[in-house]
Amino acid sequence: MFKVPLYLILGGLIPSFAMPVLARWKKEACAPLTVLVCGVLFVLALCFGGAMIGGHQPIFQAVADWDPPWGIEIAIEPVSALMAVLITGLYLLIALFSCRALKKEMINQDSIGWYYVEFLLCMTAMLGLVITHDIFNMYVFIEVVGISAVALVVSKGDRYSTEASLKYLILATIGSGFILLAIGMLYMITGHLNMRFAGMVLAENAAHYPYMIWIMMTLFVVGFGIKSALFPLHLWLPDAHASAPSPSSAILSGLVVKVYIIALFKLFFIVFGNEFYQQSNIRILLLILGAAAMLFGSLFAFVQLDLKRRLAYSTVAQLGYIYLGLGLGTPWAIVAAFYHLVVHALMKTCLFLCAGAISYQTGRKKVTGLQNIGFTMPLTAASFTVAAFSMVGLPLTGGFISKYLLAVESMGASFPYFIALIVLSGLLNAAYYFPIIWQFYFVNEENPAGKRVFQRDKIPFTMQLPIVLTAVGIILLGTAGVIAYDYLQQIVLHFLA
Amino acid sequence: MNWDALMANFPYLVSVIVFGIGIIIVLTQSNLLKKVIGLNIMTSAVFLFYISFGNIVGGTAPILDPAAPAELYINPLPSGLILTGIVVGFSTSAFALALIVKLFSHYGTINAPDFMKMR
Repeated sequence: MFKVPLYLILGGLIPSFAMPVLARWKKEACAPLTVLVCGVLFVLALCFGGAMIGGHQPIFQAVADWDPPWGIEIAIEPVSALMAVLITGLYLLIALFSCRALKKEMINQDSIGWYYVEFLLCMTAMLGLVITHDIFNMYVFIEVVGISAVALVVSKGDRYSTEASLKYLILATIGSGFILLAIGMLYMITGHLNMRFAGMVLAENAAHYPYMIWIMMTLFVVGFGIKSALFPLHLWLPDAHASAPSPSSAILSGLVVKVYIIALFKLFFIVFGNEFYQQSNIRILLLILGAAAMLFGSLFAFVQLDLKRRLAYSTVAQLGYIYLGLGLGTPWAIVAAFYHLVVHALMKTCLFLCAGAISYQTGRKKVTGLQNIGFTMPLTAASFTVAAFSMVGLPLTGGFISKYLLAVESMGASFPYFIALIVLSGLLNAAYYFPIIWQFYFVNEENPAGKRVFQRDKIPFTMQLPIVLTAVGIILLGTAGVIAYDYLQQIVLHFLA
Repeated sequence: MNWDALMANFPYLVSVIVFGIGIIIVLTQSNLLKKVIGLNIMTSAVFLFYISFGNIVGGTAPILDPAAPAELYINPLPSGLILTGIVVGFSTSAFALALIVKLFSHYGTINAPDFMKMR
C-alpha cells in the first residue's frame, strides 16, 4: 500500500478541493480536517522516509501506466523522502497553530474555507515538486506553488498584504518565464522531459552545445533565484513574508523558498550531472551571491523595526548559507547545505509562530516593544530564545552544526576567507536577535524595582504545542544530529556517485 | 558574424527579443495594468519559442494514415505542452487582475508609485 508515491499528492489535492463545499456546510470543521489530512500524509511520508533510511531502493512510479521516457514519472528518492517528511511534519504543526491563530489574524472570517484550500494546495504542489521526475510536470507544480503562495499572502485581506502579494506574483511570474524558456531549450537539445533520460542524452551530447548549456543553466539559476530569493533578487520577500498571516509566513519562509532550491539541486545533479556542475562557472556565481546574501541580508535585518520584517530579512541571509554550500560544491558542503536547510525550516517556523503568538496575546509587533515577554509568556519566549541562538550558531543548537560544517568545508574547498564571512554574519545575527531576547528577560520599564514572577502563557494549547515542538526539534538536531547527518550523507552520495 | 545561421534561426531571435520587450515593460512601467500586459507579452514569447522549435518545415500533422504514410511528421509535444503554459499564463494574469481590482478599492489608483505616498 505505501509503495505508491502518488498518494502523497492525491491525499492533499482531494481534501483541498472538498474544502469549499465543507465550508458552506460546516465552517468550523475545516481546520480540524486540515490537521487530520496533514497528519495522515505525515505518517505516509514517515513510511517512505523509514524505507529510505532502511536502505530501500528508490521507488519509481509511472503515472497512468505510461512508462518513461514518455509518461510522467514520480520517484521517492532519499532527498524527496526527506523533503516530504519535513514538509508534511511542519505542515501538521502549522495547521495545528492556525486553528486558533487565524480567528484573530484573518480580517474576513467567512473566507476561512478558502484559506485552507490554498493551504493544502500549496502543500500538495510542494510535495509534487520534490517527488516528480518530469521536467514539465515540475514547471506546473512550480506555478501551483507560486499561485497558492501568493494566495496565502493575500488572504489577510488588508492593503499591505494585497500590495505585497501583487509584487510577489509579478516577480514569481517573471521567474517562471525564465524557467519555462530554459525547459524549452533543454527539450530542444535532449528530446526528453524525463530528468534521468534527459541527463543521459545531455551527457553524450553536451560537447556539441556549449553556449546553449551555459544559457540554460543561467536561466535556471535566475528563475529559481527569483523564486527562492537569492540575494539581489529577494525584493519581494520581506514585504510578502512580513504582511502575511503568521501561519502563512511560517510556510512561506520555512518551506516554499526551500523547495525551489531542492528543484534546482535536482536539475543540476540529475540532468546536468555532478561533473558538469563542478566545471561550470555558475557554481562561482552561486558562491558569490550566497556570500553577499549572508552579509547584506543580515545588515538589512539589523535596521528593521517590525519583528516579522526582521525575521523575513533574516531568511534572505540564511538562504545565503544554503547557496554557499551548493556553490562550494564538495559533497560535504552540500551535506552542510542540506543540514542548514532542515534546521532553518525548523528555526524560521518556530520564530514566525512565536511572533504570531506574541501578537496574539499582547498585540505587540515592533521589536522595541517586547519587554517582559519572558515572564508573561515563558514557554514562547524560551522557544524563541532557542531558535534565535540557533540562528546565531551557538553550540547545542542545530544552527551550530550546519555553520560549523560549512566553515570546515570552506577551508577544505580552499576558500578560507568564507570562514570570516560566516563568523561576521553570525555576529550580525547576534546583533539583531540578542536585543530582542534582552528585552524579554532583563528590561522592566513599567515597574523597575518590582520583583517579577513567571506566569503561564495565555495562548491556547494548540498554539503552544507547535512552538515548543519545533524548539525541541532544533535542540535534537544540535545534540543528536548524527542520525540526520548520516542520512544526509546517504542523500548526497546517491546524487554525486 | 554568421548571418546565415542567424537568419535560419530567425524565430528564436524574435522570441528572445519579444521576451526582452516584455520584461522591460514589466520593470519600467508604473501602471499596474501595463505590468500585467508586459507579463503576457513575456509569456507569449516563450510560447512562440516552443511552437517554433516544435515545427518542422515540410512536415505534416502527426496523424498516421496507413494508406498514405507521410515522409515527415512534426513533433506534437511542444504544442501540447504550451497548451498547459497558456492555461497557466491565463490563470496568473486573471489572478493579477483580481489583485489590481482589490488594490484599486483600497488605494483608489493603479499607479504603483502613488502607493508609497499613501502609506
